Amino acid sequence: MSNDPITLEIIQNSIQAAADEMFAAMRKTAMSSIIYEVLDMGTGITDAEGRIASSGAGIPAFIGVLDKSVQFIITKFGEDIQQGDVFITNDPWHGGVTHLNDLVLAMPVFSDEHIIGWCANIAHNSDVGGMAPGSLSGEATEIFQEGLRLPAVKLIRENITDQSVMDIITCNSRMPDFLLGDVWAAIASVRIGAKRLEDLAGKYGVRTFESAMETFMDFGEQTAKAQLAKLPQGTFELNEPQDDGRQYNVKITISNTEFIVDLRDNPDEDAGPTNTSRDGTIICSQMVFKSLIDSDSPANDGSFRPMKVLTREGSVFHAREPAAIGFYFETEVRVYDLIWRCLAPHIPARLPAGHFSSICGTFIGGIHPDTGRQYTIIEPQLGGWGAWEGRDGNPCIFSGFHGETYNTPAEISEARNGLYVDRMELNTAPGGEGEFNGGRGLILDYRIRTENGFLTAGFTRSVVKPWSLQGGIEGSGNIVEVIKADGSKEHYSFVSGLSLTTDDVVRIITSSGAGYGDPKKRNTEAVQNDIDNGFITARRAREVHSF
Amino acid sequence: MSSLPLRVATDVGGTFTDLVAITEQSDGMKIITAKVDTTPPDFDKGVLNVLEAGGVAAQQIDFLVHGTTVVINALTERKGVTVGLITTEGFRDTLEIARGNRPDFFNLHYEKPLPFVPRSLRTEVPGRMTYKGEERTPLDLSELPSIIKQFRHNGVQAVAISLLHAYANTQHEEAVLAGVKKLWPEVSVVASHQITREWREYERTSTTVLSAYVQPVAASYLSQLNDSLVSQGLASSPYIMQSNCGVDSLSATSQIPITMVESGPASGFWGAAELGKMINEPDILALDIGGTTAKCSLIEGGEVRIMTDYWIERSRKSAGYPIMVPVVDLVEIGNGGGSIAWVDDFGKLHVGPRSAGAVPGPAAYGKGGLNATTTDANLWLGRINPDYFCGGALQADMDAAKSALQAIGNKLGVSVDEAARGIIRIANNNMVNALKLVSLNRGHDTRDFTLLAFGGGGPMHAVALAQELQVKKVVIPTAASVFSAWGMMMSDLRRDYFVTHLADLVEGAASRIEDVFREVEQNARNTFVAEGVDEARISFLRYGKFRYQNQEHTTEVALSGTVTDTALSEIAESFRTAYEREYTYRLDAPVEMVGVHLVARAEVGKLQMVPSKLGDTDASAAVKGTRGVDFALDGKHLATIFDGDKLTPGMAFDGPAVVEDSGSTLVVHPQNNLSVDAYRNIHIRLGAES
Repeated sequence: MSNDPITLEIIQNSIQAAADEMFAAMRKTAMSSIIYEVLDMGTGITDAEGRIASSGAGIPAFIGVLDKSVQFIITKFGEDIQQGDVFITNDPWHGGVTHLNDLVLAMPVFSDEHIIGWCANIAHNSDVGGMAPGSLSGEATEIFQEGLRLPAVKLIRENITDQSVMDIITCNSRMPDFLLGDVWAAIASVRIGAKRLEDLAGKYGVRTFESAMETFMDFGEQTAKAQLAKLPQGTFELNEPQDDGRQYNVKITISNTEFIVDLRDNPDEDAGPTNTSRDGTIICSQMVFKSLIDSDSPANDGSFRPMKVLTREGSVFHAREPAAIGFYFETEVRVYDLIWRCLAPHIPARLPAGHFSSICGTFIGGIHPDTGRQYTIIEPQLGGWGAWEGRDGNPCIFSGFHGETYNTPAEISEARNGLYVDRMELNTAPGGEGEFNGGRGLILDYRIRTENGFLTAGFTRSVVKPWSLQGGIEGSGNIVEVIKADGSKEHYSFVSGLSLTTDDVVRIITSSGAGYGDPKKRNTEAVQNDIDNGFITARRAREVHSF
Repeated sequence: MSSLPLRVATDVGGTFTDLVAITEQSDGMKIITAKVDTTPPDFDKGVLNVLEAGGVAAQQIDFLVHGTTVVINALTERKGVTVGLITTEGFRDTLEIARGNRPDFFNLHYEKPLPFVPRSLRTEVPGRMTYKGEERTPLDLSELPSIIKQFRHNGVQAVAISLLHAYANTQHEEAVLAGVKKLWPEVSVVASHQITREWREYERTSTTVLSAYVQPVAASYLSQLNDSLVSQGLASSPYIMQSNCGVDSLSATSQIPITMVESGPASGFWGAAELGKMINEPDILALDIGGTTAKCSLIEGGEVRIMTDYWIERSRKSAGYPIMVPVVDLVEIGNGGGSIAWVDDFGKLHVGPRSAGAVPGPAAYGKGGLNATTTDANLWLGRINPDYFCGGALQADMDAAKSALQAIGNKLGVSVDEAARGIIRIANNNMVNALKLVSLNRGHDTRDFTLLAFGGGGPMHAVALAQELQVKKVVIPTAASVFSAWGMMMSDLRRDYFVTHLADLVEGAASRIEDVFREVEQNARNTFVAEGVDEARISFLRYGKFRYQNQEHTTEVALSGTVTDTALSEIAESFRTAYEREYTYRLDAPVEMVGVHLVARAEVGKLQMVPSKLGDTDASAAVKGTRGVDFALDGKHLATIFDGDKLTPGMAFDGPAVVEDSGSTLVVHPQNNLSVDAYRNIHIRLGAES
């Protein structure tokens, strides 16, 4: 087979198709709603050295995880990697990147007894042990409290499952059936991917196959560099206060060939679980970088080659073992938004105003009143996105951290979780107005039906609200309200293991996106439309739009 | 023209209105085809024109099936009516919240699809059902008069009703429906349970809203068509092609027209299943290549797969809109004869999804099109005959084709020949990936399947795709370019009922499952009988949707006979087997039923094709000549050119060859062996091993 560009293109398309197929297979067979509905998962294919070649759909924050896991496994196991092996890891200091709930499975792909690539996936499992149901607790101070640590081990040796490992993993979960189902879904997914890659290498030859991966990555690098040259050059800096009073700092230096994100000047790691590993921080920088330079072409190792990230070990963005990292996602979305915000005023054509910018991770559990079985809701929330020149922001979509992610329908939630969804509607609280308005956030009411339930949640952008551009108004802010059966109300942004009982209502309130441009310049027809649709009161329209 | 009754299918597309008519004469069956321009906004004119063009008088017609793109066009062109929505208190924004996904996830300027009903026309009524179908809060209709008043005031033309958990208990929706009809008898109104009984409130609400949105448009289209045909002497109303591969009565379709949304592709895939049964090829990969898109579907054991997971305008760039109606399971890609080839900023060649359409069309049309298309590449490589372009209707402008291909070649730094070959290979690869999505990706081995290719472009690419996928063989049906219309004539009256019903497969569950099937069957039977269908001709197929406990996505399993407790373990086992084939493993976990799928069918006097006698294998009478053809990966060869219209049953020959008829061009690669069967279908065996 020849190395002509068309053949390479065809192989690249087929590798992409394999990553997509791995994703589809896992989605359809997973047991946890966070995987099959929320799609808190990702799939990827790397070359023999663990450089990412292609990713399935899913969430952008997982795109850059799998290469780091595979590279760790390669380093750890060296020659002891055999055909039919499947590895598992979840620990950020052993190739796991995120938090212990996220199990990464990776399988080497062989052709003629040589490794030609890897298939891997990552998914949020409902419970991996630890001090709290769902394994995530705001009270955790070290990783040992957040579940079973898997330091990159073989789960399957040459096609034979190591039952001891499987037993240890399932025995450490509060929801062993779910975990087992989800792990098998992940195994099926990497096996399907491996089969497709073997066929491709067999058909076109290993050399051509490898060359296709190589040129694909070079193409990613070329794309990135070409776009990089179009950005304004120089060093940009931002200090941003946080909800908890700390201040984060970023300095970004853009040149023709490099994009350097300097996060060294940041607070020490947190005593609690809102820390991220250095790898996690790199991934956030990758996400902004990819959106900034070229959101269209597929991401691979080459796409990120011009980017460098500087961190300080022991800081919140480069936590040391054994720091707790359960709520890493909230720290990640903060650094993601920090970089975005730092550059937006300088590159407004590529970066809209701030969005609700929190995972708004919500965990509700208890006993299902109709089945008597344990239920656990683990879900990110929808919120409003910021406006940009010429267009209002989107109402109610997932944050920049999530992507091809779906919310849970009320009808399914009521059946599966045995609670009532009293309302799921747009949040029309004031905020986010501009010449172009931020999109509306969400109000979601869960009414608890049994005793002995619990709520854990972690919301940021509660105090420091989504940031506007060009004179727009900031967003309304994210918050959780608990309305007790007796009518009393409590507000939370971070809460851990709060007791819930029958007829308590958990009200999730997410922010509007921020506005763009002077609200007084908003087109009067648009304002009238907002009033007719109940998005704004006539009084507020008078105040902010001079309507 | 024969005086015997005629069976006729008319298919109204965006550009052309097609006719296929079949008559039984003393010397066998005869197929008449005709094509005229579509005539918006009075589409019935085009239908009358095409009947005239085919020499078919309305009073001769025994059975008329009609297919139309009116629904999908009204949706994609936003030409429906103003809809008002009535929903459950607390859920007026469901339609706008949608599912919150961002498919184009690195794009910070992603634009979420706008709802079809603005917030001001989305209204709420108090009252709640539970997921078990029990009333939690009584329905309160005290605000209904003011809702209706507001709708009237705001120019609402159709009302959609979608309440929470209406799939489990329809009573509240029925009460709202009755209330609306009483207060506003002349308005078009539809409730979600009339269309679907499956859960997921956003999908069900979207479906109901979109049905309301197109209902007045579709109803007026259908009534105008009916009046026109009846005034010409048509004895009974036409049947209307549906997305579930069946036909339905004109009156039922006028009520819930959304079920027509994908009727175009459905008829072709139904035709593929029916043809497969006729020629003893029950396992088929069906491929329909038109001017703008290619569509494919997998048929197993002679059965098409019908699903309710259908979305419009959904892509890697957009979340789209769900329509939860039974639609044949298909994959569609923007890759047809008119697809434009282009080179991106980094020297990579792409084909589609943009199409040159009919105007200006491929460069070779000579109508000013500057872009090279798949058709231009096929012409350049000698695969399409420039002197018999579009069935001889057009002389191909080869200079224009060459300069368009040259432009691609220059960007890639290759010759015109290589550019043309590259375009064909990329286009083929796009289609191979689509075919894999419906086969390999679902655990089917393509070597067990026959590729049946139709549409104007199907025969052109079929063999190359078949070789890549290593299918058993290729079949090209007679009159391949109008095969979809043929498929319509083979359809039965068919309705697919999906009802969400949760049940653990344990002792005692069977009787309740059986009750659900019986209730749906009774309902289906009553509806058919009320429409004048003879009860004896009604038959049912039962399917169950199952999953392992705690999973979400289901696998459908065919059920035979009454559901009894003793049969449950067998049912669970057939689920485990089906699941393992698709996903490679089985679990010990309990199996749960999530819903039933009932197919209700009534034969409407289906066409029986009559085989002809096989004649001599010698095909020399059909030879038109020879020419050099570039087979891309299989090299350049001198190919024998055959006149497709002169091929008769029994003829056989080997590739390299090209078979040309007025609607399509079949490319037969070296080492292929071709034969014509008793129904004039062409069978191609691929190579040495077969």
